[in-house]
Amino acid sequence: MTARTEPRTEIHDLEHDAFLEEVHSFEFWFQAVEGYLSGTVHGHRPDTRDVPPVGSDRERLISTLCNYCIGETAALEGASGLIAIAPNRLTKVFLSTQVADEGRHLEVLLQRLADLGVAEPESEVEKRSSPSLQLFRRRLLELVASRDWEAAIFAQNVILESLEYAVFHTHASNADPITREVLEGVIKDERRHIGFGENELGRKLAHSPHIRARLGQVRSQLDHLVLDMLETTAREIGVDRHEQERLGRTYRESVERLGFGS
Amino acid sequence: MSDPLQGHDDASAEPGAGERRRFILDDTGFNEVPVKYRKFYRKWRGAGDALAPNEVVCPVCKVVIRSTRELRPGDRVYCMPCMSRLVVVRGESGMLEARVAY
Amino acid sequence: MADFLSAYSIQSWLESCPQGYLEDTEYGHAHDEKEPDILLDNEVLREETIKATVQLVVGERCALSASSGLINAAPDEASKRFLATQTLDEARHVEVFTHRLYDLGVKKNELESVIRHYANPNLVKFAEVLLEKVDKKDFIAGVVGQNIVLEGMAFSVFEMMYAMNEPINAKFAHTLSGTIADERRHVGFGENRIGSLIKENPGKKSEIERMQKEMSYWMLATFADAFRGNRTLDELNKLGVERAHGHYQGADLGVLSPEQMEHVLADTVLAEFKTRLGRIGVEYQTPAMPA
Repeated sequence: MTARTEPRTEIHDLEHDAFLEEVHSFEFWFQAVEGYLSGTVHGHRPDTRDVPPVGSDRERLISTLCNYCIGETAALEGASGLIAIAPNRLTKVFLSTQVADEGRHLEVLLQRLADLGVAEPESEVEKRSSPSLQLFRRRLLELVASRDWEAAIFAQNVILESLEYAVFHTHASNADPITREVLEGVIKDERRHIGFGENELGRKLAHSPHIRARLGQVRSQLDHLVLDMLETTAREIGVDRHEQERLGRTYRESVERLGFGS
Repeated sequence: MSDPLQGHDDASAEPGAGERRRFILDDTGFNEVPVKYRKFYRKWRGAGDALAPNEVVCPVCKVVIRSTRELRPGDRVYCMPCMSRLVVVRGESGMLEARVAY
Repeated sequence: MADFLSAYSIQSWLESCPQGYLEDTEYGHAHDEKEPDILLDNEVLREETIKATVQLVVGERCALSASSGLINAAPDEASKRFLATQTLDEARHVEVFTHRLYDLGVKKNELESVIRHYANPNLVKFAEVLLEKVDKKDFIAGVVGQNIVLEGMAFSVFEMMYAMNEPINAKFAHTLSGTIADERRHVGFGENRIGSLIKENPGKKSEIERMQKEMSYWMLATFADAFRGNRTLDELNKLGVERAHGHYQGADLGVLSPEQMEHVLADTVLAEFKTRLGRIGVEYQTPAMPA
């Protein structure tokens, strides 16, 4: 999986169609993930020393990871369902790489729970999941089932992914070494997902501004769930008020870039 | 492949701007895109990190995008890690910034 | 179940696929491998090759829709994660076969019209039977249709195409060997996971048997069209080019007539269906023979 040729010219000179053909491909994904997953086992380097938290810190980490698992399951189910309604081959291929990414995230997070001594990670996830997150998952899957491409992409790749991106980023900065490495790998995948969602919707909104009102409605239905999840997670990962506000701002930025103000 | 940057040079150049400086890009260890594209990106090191004249930060994923040419307002750049197309603008602070072009 | 499924984890997939047999490939083959000149220069051979490749793209698009659709219907997390890797495998197959069409001279803006033009209607019907089950979120029928019937067919078709191409077209043979390696996991998952579910849901058997019979019929009709209407052998004879003597199921493909090749393939696939379905406790149904 090594690149053989230098790009003939500056990457920024590509025509937009050629750029999309390049980045929405299995080949691109393949070589991109090789850069940071090669040699890892369950999302971290095999020789990273495990310094797991103990006592109440351990309990909080387990609850947090359980909720991440619900988020990743929602993303896995959402992304896979979106393939059937994706408008063209490139978006289908991109979403299939996202499906594998989400499946990987779920796997490494469940493995981390097992490493922390959770005997039955899957049932623990169900027990500790936040009602807001479960409701978000149901709403997302309803949008996918209704075959509403724009609304589902908005909920999945803009709202959910932006939330995860912001939270994982903050959590990685104060997590134990293995959890940090696992989250950093996930963040690298999330970059592709949020970028895809934002750009796909941005292009749609530019051509069909009438979609905006519908997406605004979706946002207002989901926003309180997202903010509730943010608050709960921020408490669990132990961030202060200032950092919590910054988290909220990071989440809102991507939604606002698409023209959806608070 | 056409070179839209060259095509835009005259129109996009700010008054008084001279010939663009050229840069040789080295691999900075950024490992989230295929090897052949890695030199076009680097990690943003946060407050205190200074951007070179051929660099701009992606507002979507906060990676530093690099070009072999000095960047100017109106230039188009691509962020491969998040797959965004961006246009370089002069921000309120006077620094070059990138805006997503859908 | 959990232990068996651990072999189908994403970690295993990463180690065996991107870090294994696909390492150092580009669109499924080595960087310096090219389609043979004769396929690119001779219009009849090129068109027949495009037509055959289109069927692969159609089949893989169906597999992509089915495997992604089945994730939401899967009853457990481990199956969802395996299907996530299968979804990516299928998308890769769509991509590598699409790329082959480009290598054969199909222009990017003509891709969809070329696929529409050459897609075999019987293969489309085959896909529709499966996708109807997936749409209904019927996990057991969907996995049997996808991972046993469709993948079982693809596995044998790819093996036969590999035997045909290996002596003369290293590039396409290389692409096929990677897809065959993927299919091995898919059929393995189908059999291993579904066996227990069938036991728990014996009432599903008759519906699954009907589906297998119907899908098998459309598959045989596709084979009949593909072999009987193929102009490749006549063109090679006209050019005085000797056929490659690849061996498949003990037969020399360099001497068989198109009808004989069709029978070898159909018999192999149906025998495989019978064996695999028998192992999971479903009774194989002999399909009607297309006219």
